Amino acid sequence: MRITRRQTLLGAGAALLPVPARAAPDYRLDPRQVADGVWLFEGAQDSIARGNGGAICNIVMLESPEGAIVVDTGGTHRHGAALRAFADGRLGGVAAALNTHHHPDHWFGNGAFADRPIHALPGTIAAQKAGAQALSDGLYRILGSWMQGTAPLPATVQAGGDLALGGRGLTVMALSGHTGADLALIDGRTGTLIAGDLLFLDRAPSFPDADIAAWRAALSILGGLPVTGTVPGHGPFHRDSRAVAQTLAYLDAFAARMDAAATQGLTPVEALAAGPVPAFAGMAANPAEYRRAAVQQWRAFEISALPVIGGSV
Amino acid sequence: MSAILCHRLPGGEAGLAAFGGGLTRLDRLDSGMWDMHRADLLGAPDAWRSDPGLRLLAPGNAEDARHVPILADATGLGRVDRMVVTIDYSPFPLALVFHPGRALPLLGFGVKYEIAGPIRASALTGGAWIMGGAFIDALGGGCSAPAATHARPDWQDGFGEMRARLWPDTGRLRVGIRHPMDTGLADGIPAHHLTDLTLTDARGDEIARLEIHEPLEENPVLTFLLPPGLAQGPVGITARDTSGFRFSGKVAA
Repeated sequence: MRITRRQTLLGAGAALLPVPARAAPDYRLDPRQVADGVWLFEGAQDSIARGNGGAICNIVMLESPEGAIVVDTGGTHRHGAALRAFADGRLGGVAAALNTHHHPDHWFGNGAFADRPIHALPGTIAAQKAGAQALSDGLYRILGSWMQGTAPLPATVQAGGDLALGGRGLTVMALSGHTGADLALIDGRTGTLIAGDLLFLDRAPSFPDADIAAWRAALSILGGLPVTGTVPGHGPFHRDSRAVAQTLAYLDAFAARMDAAATQGLTPVEALAAGPVPAFAGMAANPAEYRRAAVQQWRAFEISALPVIGGSV
Repeated sequence: MSAILCHRLPGGEAGLAAFGGGLTRLDRLDSGMWDMHRADLLGAPDAWRSDPGLRLLAPGNAEDARHVPILADATGLGRVDRMVVTIDYSPFPLALVFHPGRALPLLGFGVKYEIAGPIRASALTGGAWIMGGAFIDALGGGCSAPAATHARPDWQDGFGEMRARLWPDTGRLRVGIRHPMDTGLADGIPAHHLTDLTLTDARGDEIARLEIHEPLEENPVLTFLLPPGLAQGPVGITARDTSGFRFSGKVAA
């Protein structure tokens, strides 16, 4: 807990006062410009937890004459409101927002942008509508007061082809693999790739809705793009292609580990307990992310390892 | 001595140690419904203890409340007459009763989780009960949600399909049956679940038997451990459910 000046002044006597309801903590934004008019709010390299308020994914704002184009809106309403305040105060308001995919750390702040168009792929909007309640229940439980005021608002505009928002041209790529609908963007002015969670760097990828084969295909597309810099969904901005290489290596190693476990007759909880591939064991969010992934992805590997030998008689 | 196979994966032995090795932490488990379930489900034994010879591997939280993977390995205890799996705060606290017979006392399975709390495997050996358990955090809903298969109009397609494989080098046997395992708690869906499964040898004599109750996961996959004399197969597998359906298959090494 952060100590305020008031608490310091009250000193030891504060311990005798009635304990007030704990106020929701504040989001501290630390944006920096990584390219011309491209502002990056880097997420905590961790799982969603009370220590980070769910502010774990990267958020990007692109400046335009009509205000900021906000790519992903934060993990809670209050996170979204803090981002909105920055856009209003520093970037001349908000032209539009986008959601790269339906995982809650990327769009539960939509409520703070409800007066502006919020773009997402059709598959993302459908998944937002279907999953909002369950995701919200889970996050209220994990995040507590950080979630105050969060009523998930699905995106309102279906993204199709390329966009020109506030006069800023964006190449829109409708991909999949991390989820059933993953939007990646290239900012025309700077050549910056905003990859959403198709790319992770130095943080274990998450798999709750992953299709590993489709994800590999998306990575091969992203790897061939002539871009000047890359913002992964989680991890630092970088100018080479290492997030593509690392994410692909992680997918391959994870799939090989699941396959080895299933074909040797291990149970899923043994695969889980064995922990991540040693090369990735020290990565941020591991072993927790690996353990989740082992449960999420196990069934497909298991079925291919067990032949049909009988049935109903 | 344990029959856990984490070491088959690179770094898996260290991973298992970091995971806690499946050892029971009694400080969190001599509580909850344990007194009551010992009385109601185990015949009220006064004498019980935990023992490193019984390891229970379970995730710390239920990532998917409909499929929580568990492994109970009592091979460190010697001969086990039966092993009873209970879940403290489940609407159906009795999950499984395993009679290892001529198999080894190891059982892998998945359960549905309705609410956070302990799961326990209690093994009766030499007249004494050994309890291994773990606390599993869960958001819940595993027992009261409809089986995923009912979201499809063709859920009967593939119903009862049996998959299995025998690994003679380790003695592992894994068996899966396509079954909705309906608990009766989901709106408009009556109870319909497996009730028992039996393993038999080449002569048709029983190897081991499992009594099955509502918490077992949809499309369950079970893991057994056979001694070298039986691990070459063939092994017959038969099962029944509450609607009188019978399932059968045979697996060879």
